[in-house]
Amino acid sequence: MSTNSPSPFRLLALPFRWLWVGLWRLLWLGNPLTWIEWGTRLWVRWFGLSQHSFVIVNAVRNQRRATLTVLSVAVSCGLLVTVMTLQRELTIPPESESASLRLIARNKVSLAQPLPAKQMPLIEKVPGVVAVSPFTYFGGNFREETITSFAQFAVDPVRFRDLIVEGKVAEGDYEDFIRDRTACFVGKDTMDRYQLKVGDRMKFTGTFYPVDLDLKIAAVYTGTVDDRNVFFHHKLLDELTGDLGTVGTWYVRVASADVANDVIARIDQAFENSSAEVRTETERAFQMSFMSMLGNVKVLTMSISAVVVFTLVLVTISTMSMAIRERFRELAVLKAIGFQRRELFGFILAESFGLAALGAFLGIGGAWLFWGHINLQKLTGGFLIYFEVTPRIMATGGIVAALLGMLAAIGPSISVARTSVVEGLKTLD
Amino acid sequence: MAAAPIVVIRDLTKIYRQGDIDVTALAGVSLDITPGEFVVLMGPSGSGKSTLLHILAGIDRPTGGSVKVQGIEVANLNESQLADWRNQNVGFVFQSFNLIPVLTAAENVELPLLLTALSRSERRRQVETALSLVGLADRGHHRTDQMSGGQQQRVAIARALVTDPALIVADEPTGNLDAKSASDVLHILQSLSRSAGKTVIMVTHDPKAAGYGTRELHLEKGELVENVSKA
Repeated sequence: MSTNSPSPFRLLALPFRWLWVGLWRLLWLGNPLTWIEWGTRLWVRWFGLSQHSFVIVNAVRNQRRATLTVLSVAVSCGLLVTVMTLQRELTIPPESESASLRLIARNKVSLAQPLPAKQMPLIEKVPGVVAVSPFTYFGGNFREETITSFAQFAVDPVRFRDLIVEGKVAEGDYEDFIRDRTACFVGKDTMDRYQLKVGDRMKFTGTFYPVDLDLKIAAVYTGTVDDRNVFFHHKLLDELTGDLGTVGTWYVRVASADVANDVIARIDQAFENSSAEVRTETERAFQMSFMSMLGNVKVLTMSISAVVVFTLVLVTISTMSMAIRERFRELAVLKAIGFQRRELFGFILAESFGLAALGAFLGIGGAWLFWGHINLQKLTGGFLIYFEVTPRIMATGGIVAALLGMLAAIGPSISVARTSVVEGLKTLD
Repeated sequence: MAAAPIVVIRDLTKIYRQGDIDVTALAGVSLDITPGEFVVLMGPSGSGKSTLLHILAGIDRPTGGSVKVQGIEVANLNESQLADWRNQNVGFVFQSFNLIPVLTAAENVELPLLLTALSRSERRRQVETALSLVGLADRGHHRTDQMSGGQQQRVAIARALVTDPALIVADEPTGNLDAKSASDVLHILQSLSRSAGKTVIMVTHDPKAAGYGTRELHLEKGELVENVSKA
């Protein structure tokens, strides 16, 4: 047998080897640092060396480490932005202009305590009030669900029309809702999610109330900040429960934001010392009180953010220290040929800042693209609705990365400044 | 009439502190070096020759005495002034070349010029001249880590020359080279001294290398024990 013929194992391994080499080449070509290095080298070839191009060439000289640094900053920044977005989502409910004109009056003792229906005429008489409707949370489970993510409220359909003025409804449909006592008025997001259409029936099993609902979809709304809820006739709830004299809360619309505080005070005063004192607040404040039931979300998310930032600081400082440590001798040579401490500090700072900025750009931009193109509402069963990575959050992430870049440069710079040329030249490569 | 010395050293002392012990590296060295001289510093390890070279090149400070280069008391300059002074007056050649491996030969040579006010075209012209002087005009665009040791040391000499300094200091420049490359490097340093009028001060252990100089200074235990002029 010829000793020169390749073994079958080697032949079999060949395609895998090509695949591996090809994959590696692709990764290398797809790495932005490769392009930055090529671009800088071309620039230097045409326009000569400058301190700026020197910094860039140095920053990407160890491409594997630079890539890993950029990736670690990118992942951490992406995570930071995600946590901040989550915090915003959980603590600042979406708000519209119309929502700022709406108030909710509830029993002062507890949200679970009902209010007497007879309070309505008194609330209507308060100056500045434009519309009032009972607003009772049903809290049922849709179909076979054990947790339903959209809420159902019993309302007075005629009065309720003046409360969600921003909601868009097909012409004539709302009148159908008013006419049929077993009808319901459903948000478009829920219609889409469950692939429902007008005329379909929605069955809910009561969890708060010992009754079930069987509603016919009469109208669909869209254009509000939360197009998920289902509204139905309060009279139907009254009949099913046999309780004609109570409501959960009052939903109130005021004439303008200027009079809102005055209206709140007057409604609260109107029922002072009665058997059902009320606490009135803006819709936003009401939603916030629900969020507080989740616990101290702000502290939790801030803690996670702090851990992310701290990890980020450690990773970047360690990388920059290693990068500078192995170039100590070169920096000593630069000092010997006339570069000042401040120039060397500038080199280190620019390198550290540049890597952090690239990482931040990729991480924050990636998070913005990812969360902007994913249907989180569907994925989380409606728990997270908007999850908007706002410019403010992106700017905060960018500032953190920038500070981090500067912070990471301080240690190596001090170390370089403290080391004399002679000591630096003695260090091993 | 003899030319005024470019380097005047008087009672130069350097004492290092190592733990609780004071180590005397230089013990009252005095000497003059005239422009265009090729001075070779020799002596056993620890004799103080590298320390002397570092002090007169402005990268180390003396404990006592005076070092004047072109009339300037080097020890009196602050860090910033010293950096500028080195850039304009001293060219360095090290034993291990100390080039930036990610830069090409021309870019390495151009580095000291980034601190000057020269235009890009002037910088390029000076880089080309410096590379021509060391015989590497055609290798400017090559990365230095792809060059032989001898070529790398010639690039380092070009970098030392490019700002047209009065003084070139070389710390064992042939220590890492083969005989042929060492000879090339020494010839270049010699011609810089002879033809270009540069003052070259070189530290070496090699008597062959010392043969290229115009003067040999022998140091032992921090003292100048022999001062042999060959001219």
